Order: sequence, then structure tokens, then C-alpha cells
Amino acid sequence: MSFDPNAFIIIVTGSMIAISCGLLGVFLMLRKMAMTGDAISHAVLPGIVLAFMISGSRHGLAMVIGAGLVGIIATVFIEYLSNKVKLQSDASIGITFTSLFAIGIILITFLANKIDLDQDCVLYGEIAYVPIDLWISGSGQILGPRVTYLSLINLILVSLFIYLFFKELKISTFDKEFAASIGLSTVGVNYGLMGMVSYTTVSSFEAVGAILVVALLVVPPATAYLWSKDLNKLIKITIALGIIVSIAGYYLAFALNSSIAGAMASVAGLIFFVSVILQRKQLPLIKKKLSSLKTGEANTL
Amino acid sequence: MIQQIDNPVVEVHDLMVSYGQNPVLWNIDLTLPAGALIGILGPNGAGKSTLIKSIMGLIEANSGYSRIFDQELNQVRNRVSYVPQRESVDWDFPASALDIVMMGTYHHLGIFKRPGKKEKALAMTCLEKVNMKAFANRQISELSGGQQQRVFIARALAQEADIYFMDEPFAGVDMSTEKALVSLFQEMTAKGKTVIVVHHDIYSAGKYFDWLIMLNMHLIASGPTEQVLTEELLTKTYGGKLSMLTDIGELIKKSDFNPLKS
Repeated sequence: MSFDPNAFIIIVTGSMIAISCGLLGVFLMLRKMAMTGDAISHAVLPGIVLAFMISGSRHGLAMVIGAGLVGIIATVFIEYLSNKVKLQSDASIGITFTSLFAIGIILITFLANKIDLDQDCVLYGEIAYVPIDLWISGSGQILGPRVTYLSLINLILVSLFIYLFFKELKISTFDKEFAASIGLSTVGVNYGLMGMVSYTTVSSFEAVGAILVVALLVVPPATAYLWSKDLNKLIKITIALGIIVSIAGYYLAFALNSSIAGAMASVAGLIFFVSVILQRKQLPLIKKKLSSLKTGEANTL
Repeated sequence: MIQQIDNPVVEVHDLMVSYGQNPVLWNIDLTLPAGALIGILGPNGAGKSTLIKSIMGLIEANSGYSRIFDQELNQVRNRVSYVPQRESVDWDFPASALDIVMMGTYHHLGIFKRPGKKEKALAMTCLEKVNMKAFANRQISELSGGQQQRVFIARALAQEADIYFMDEPFAGVDMSTEKALVSLFQEMTAKGKTVIVVHHDIYSAGKYFDWLIMLNMHLIASGPTEQVLTEELLTKTYGGKLSMLTDIGELIKKSDFNPLKS
């Protein structure tokens, strides 16, 4: 197969999005907040629509800020319902995100004929358009695909966030009370993480959509967790999975002539289930065989 | 019998704490001496954990305050260590015993800095003190309950604090480990550190502790062990009308006492 620059751009963009989501997803999963990630990715919808109404553009900083704010509001709401109102945490999540999502849907349909934004775009995204959606500077110079730049900035910021606050994320995830006892603001860390999740969701929704972002947040970290019980390795495997999922997803979509984001999520799911089967069935058998071989050797010696 | 002292390391004044509508602690007024091994005794639901959580600022008090080294907690956090109950965390977290103990060095590091060789060496020394050096690289989910508890205590040691609050450090620990931990705590108090332990067993309490706090929502007693470990105060703490023996029977049931437990 000859080198296809469009395929390359799509795969690189997809990988960067998958890595950003995976890095945050590792901590969401360990905090047992994977569904909060789901909630945020849906709840940012009204933020996206409102920011779009105010700024009139799908591209601006307003979008990121609008959605980021709604994401934080959703987090505050979920925490309030579960901690203060003493509602079960899954019920709190369910109520918060469906309500916000519904408001977003109403806003979109209200404005459907006025603005260039539709449900499909927000919910499903289309990464195949990335190479033709170019960023053109004021002087008319073509600087390259816009979404690729967005996801690169997103990846840099997410990596910086994880790198700089690794210690704080780790300690507040493992032992919240201890973290608080040494004077760490566990609330601050939590909102920081949720803010990054909101931002990443917004930054990625044009490419993979608000729903499939969840697959990238949850599935690669969950798969990595099956293979390693070491946080650093877990993160590395998650990153590798992000890249594999993007490449395999692209070619699967190409072969099936279907949605790339959908194919990426399907590949992620497939890898997860294969991992489960390998871990549960094959590996113990292989280990058993190896050890019986060893003891067999020991016996003959 | 509540004995107040001068120059206390911990001072709790008029503390009242409640969960929602339910008060858990009423009018707690106590002072604790430096360099003592202090036990907090009381039945389940007496507010023992709540008392230390409140002193550590983890639970908001309805009224009253507590001071450590005659200062606000925030001023002296680096000198204070807290060991939560073992069940309060998820031991499936992807980390080794050493990783967890290293967390004890985090607050000295400050933001953005990562633990280095010095911190690692300190963590290893602390693991050695609780006899867990051989398990440094073991996955924490693969440790027994008692070993996990010792990892928690090693983490506290790594904080190099002057005062330690431990929430049931002997839960799930076998007898020989419990004895080893007690002598470790005694070594620490001999060096002037103060160790405050939530404890269940009134038999061993008399042997282990220099000072006892007896709690049953109200403060029943706080003073040197030999003065407060009396039948009258124990009865008051563990329930009025029941005789001592039934009371102890209840206690044993509640604390899931099993001599074969290891």
C-alpha cells in the first residue's frame, strides 16, 4: 500500500486523541469514576451549544471554556448529589448527565435552522473530515489540518497535567483521607482532573464525537489494567493501545467503508475482550504448562 | 476521670461532631501529654475514629476546635501523621508496597517534585522497621491484611512526624505482629514521639498504653492508664447496666475475636 497522507493525518490525530483520553481514563478508572467521564462527555453538550451561540464559531476558545465550565458544573452537581443529598453515586451521575444532555439536545434543535451544528456532528463526529478541515491563517496560508492541531495541543496539556501532578493524582486516587491529612486539596485535584476530561471531550468531539470519546476514556485503561498492576506500565500500555486502536480502527473502517471512530471503538472493545479471554483462560494454562515443563525437567534431572 | 495537663501536644476543646442529624461526639474536652503511647477505647459507634478524623481536619466539627503543638493543624501538618483504617482504601490499586510507603515522603517534597533516591532509601528503612523489606516490590493486592496494615504504618514512619494518629492499626494483624508493632510504638514514644491509637481490646489496652481515652460519644475518661482502667469507668464506657462479663463477651463478638486468626 502506498503512503497515503490523509490516512496518516487521520491515524495520527486519532492516536493523539486516544492517548489523551487514555491518560485521563487511567485515573478515572482507578478512582472508580469511569462513568463520571461518560457523564461529563454528555453533559458538555449544552456548553458546546451555548458557546457556539455566543461565539458563532465551532472552533474557538469559547467552545473549550464553555464546555469546560459545564463539565465542572456537572462534576460539582454529581458530588453534591452523592455527598450532600446522599443519593447513590450512580443515580447522581445518571440524573446529572441526562438532564444536561437533554438541555443540550433541546438547545440544538431550537437553533437547528440558525446555526451550523447538528446532533450527528456532536454525537458521532467524523474523523474522516480531518484532512480537509484546514486551518487557514489570516493571510491565506494553509497551515494544516485544524483538528490535528487541536488534538496535539490537547495531548501536550494532558501530558503536562499528568506529569506535573502525577504524585498528587496517585496519592489522592489511592488514599483520599491520607492525601487530605498531608494537606493536599483532594477537591482541587478532582476538579482539575474533571476539567481536563471536559476539555479533552470538547477538543475531541468533532473528530470522534461525544459518545465514542467515552470508549477511548474507559476501554484502553481497562484493557491495560488486565495486563499490568503497575501504574507506570499501565499508563504505557494504555498509550500503546491508543495508537494500535487508531491504526487498526482506520483500516477496519477503510475495509468496511464505515465510520472510523466507530471502528476505533470496536477495535478497542475487541482487544479488551480478547484480553479478558487470554487472561482468564489461556494464561493460567500456559503458566501451568511452563511450570509442569520445569518440574518435569527437575524430575528427570 | 478526665485529667487535663499543662503544655499538651494535643488539645481538643468543646468539640462536637455530627453526621447529618446524628451527633457522634459531644463536648469533648481533652489534653494529651507528649511522648506517650495513647489508646482510644470505646464500643463501636462511640466516635473513636471520628475523634481523630476531626482532629486531622477530615471531618468538619459543628463546634469547638483542636490544636496540635498549641498551633493550628495547617501550621504543623509536616509534624503530624495519620494512618486511616485499612479498609478505607482499595488495595487493588496498581502499586507496590514500596510505592505506598514512598507516599509518606510526598508532603516534604512539595508540588511538582518527584521522589528520588533519598526518598526511596527512607522508604526502605521504614519497611525494614515493620519487617516488610522483603515485600518491598510486592503488589499490594497480594499482601495479607496484616502486611497491608504494616505497609500503612511504614508509610506513616516515612512521614517522620512527631505525632501519629492511627485508626485501628491492629485490625486484622496477628498476635506476634501486634506485639512487634507495640514495641515499635514504644520505641517511638521513648524518643519523644506521641502515638495515638484507636484500639478495641480492653485486656491488652492495660499492657500497651501509657494513657487511655475512653469514649462513648461523651468523653468518659482521659488519663494515665493505671488511674483510668477501672471497672467503674469501663462499665460507664461500655454500657451502664450490663455486667462486665457480658460486656466483654459482646466486645469479643463485635471485634470478631478469633484466637486462630493469623
